[in-house]
Amino acid sequence: MSRRAILWVGIVVLFIYIVIAIAAPLIAPQGPNAITGKPLQPPDNNHPFGTNQVGQDIFSQLVFGTRITLLYGFFAAFLAVVISTSVGIVIGYYGGIIDEIVCRVIDVVMPIPMFVLLIVLTTFFSPGVVQVSLLMGLLSSIQGIRVMRSQVLAVARTNFVEGARAIGASDFRIMSRHILPNVSSLVMVKFVSSSQQLLLMGVGLSFIGMWDTTTVDWGTMIQNAYSQGGMALGLWWWILPPGIAVIGISVALGMIGYSFEEKFNPRVAVNRL
Amino acid sequence: MVLIHIADLKVVFSTRSEKIRAVDTVDLTINEGETLGLIGESGCGKTVMGMAMMGLLPVNAGISGIIQYSGQDLVTAPEPVMQQIRGRDLAMISQNSANTLNPVMKIGDQIAEPLLVHRLYSADEAKNEVIRLLGALGFEDPVQASGRYPHEFSGGMRERVLIALALICNPRVIIADEPTSGLDAQVKIQILHLIKEKVTGNRTLFLITHDLGTASFLCTRLAVMYAGEIVETGPTKDVLSQPFHPYTQGLLASLPSAGLHTIPGVSPSPSSLPVGCRFSERCTAALKRCRNEHPPMKEIGGTRQVRCFLYA
Repeated sequence: MSRRAILWVGIVVLFIYIVIAIAAPLIAPQGPNAITGKPLQPPDNNHPFGTNQVGQDIFSQLVFGTRITLLYGFFAAFLAVVISTSVGIVIGYYGGIIDEIVCRVIDVVMPIPMFVLLIVLTTFFSPGVVQVSLLMGLLSSIQGIRVMRSQVLAVARTNFVEGARAIGASDFRIMSRHILPNVSSLVMVKFVSSSQQLLLMGVGLSFIGMWDTTTVDWGTMIQNAYSQGGMALGLWWWILPPGIAVIGISVALGMIGYSFEEKFNPRVAVNRL
Repeated sequence: MVLIHIADLKVVFSTRSEKIRAVDTVDLTINEGETLGLIGESGCGKTVMGMAMMGLLPVNAGISGIIQYSGQDLVTAPEPVMQQIRGRDLAMISQNSANTLNPVMKIGDQIAEPLLVHRLYSADEAKNEVIRLLGALGFEDPVQASGRYPHEFSGGMRERVLIALALICNPRVIIADEPTSGLDAQVKIQILHLIKEKVTGNRTLFLITHDLGTASFLCTRLAVMYAGEIVETGPTKDVLSQPFHPYTQGLLASLPSAGLHTIPGVSPSPSSLPVGCRFSERCTAALKRCRNEHPPMKEIGGTRQVRCFLYA
């Protein structure tokens, strides 16, 4: 499959997910928490994916769950990008002691596995979707600062940045109008890869109960299916849909990131005749 | 009228093992309206001079001395003051290299930027001003050109863009560092004529170059730099027809038209400058005192100066 096609498949799938999230009330036949049928029913006319242990429509839950899942995934990724870009540009441009300090801090935090660190940190703050998203964004930015900084170091030493100083531009103007556009490819790549990572991580955290389990998102759905006997009883219509939903968006984001790579890093381009 | 007065200027780069004395010591005056050429070979410190005047030396440069411009000492001026001056009063035409223009910005936006930074025009007026200037500098379709990116232009056109960048705020002084480097002969001639027409005039131009042909074409006065100091100054015609300093004589003799005679030896390393005259090791006319004493600058005939014991 050509990179072009891969990119478009990824974009289309992502677009579908976003549409589902936005138009959830129009697509889902029931509300996410409405009890509309007998528990543990296989798919039928009213319930395309059957019902869970309380009798809620799994399909509706899936559709509504898309909202929260995408929300924390992309919000955390957005935060990660904003933090890593701004910090990376500032320390890359100015260098000196703040560069030293930030790099040492990153050296300390980076080896700690993010998942574990998140679990530990959320015990200090009351667990909730917003808090966890903020923490995920913060921790994911740690890795990004490093990458952004090295690109900024290259750009900041170029002649045109010197030229911008020669016409009297302020540091802020240089950073925002000259350095940032020249690292924009990195920003996009970071956003896509962070979304992928943090979406998955968010679902994982949700699965282990980081926030109120009555919140309907894919993680809690899988958790329900697991703990309420769905797996033991082999109720595939309960287990599979949220899992496939997660895989689907993860692969879509991965496809987008993969095709970006060739665009932004011509060295990995394959010569297709 | 003296516009820029440089006195006792020293620029030293300190590394862990040695001190590199790139500029040591320069006294120079630039008069309003003149075109002063700073001639010297690569590595003699001329670009550092240009950078020092703009206040764009890297952080590890130690600068001392005075650069007096319009009542302001540029050496000690705080950064906000320098940001005001750069681009508006004092502009620079950098050496033409691939990185001199921002690759992701349209040239129209780049040329307009000094106007916006110094708040001389609104965004729309700035656009018109850019188009007007591009037209005056030889772009046939300035509107289309201003929407293009740097890589879409040839070297000669990019040089015109750099000239536009320097001229856009109508500064009093322009520092041009090797404006025709890397250009082929035909384009070089065009650019030189363009500079003569549009840049000189009632502006003050400080031209830094190693090319004697360029200097003789554009400059009214010359200053010859060697190993971080000025060794000779004077009106262009005089210096070129009757050079005083042995180094200047050697430079002129090394031109293809004069026979390509090289000056034996190499110029001293800026980290270990010799005691005495810095040119003495290579000088065919060196006296005994030249190796031990450092010659001061001597005025000759009111318009010329030379740093050489042969004229003491």
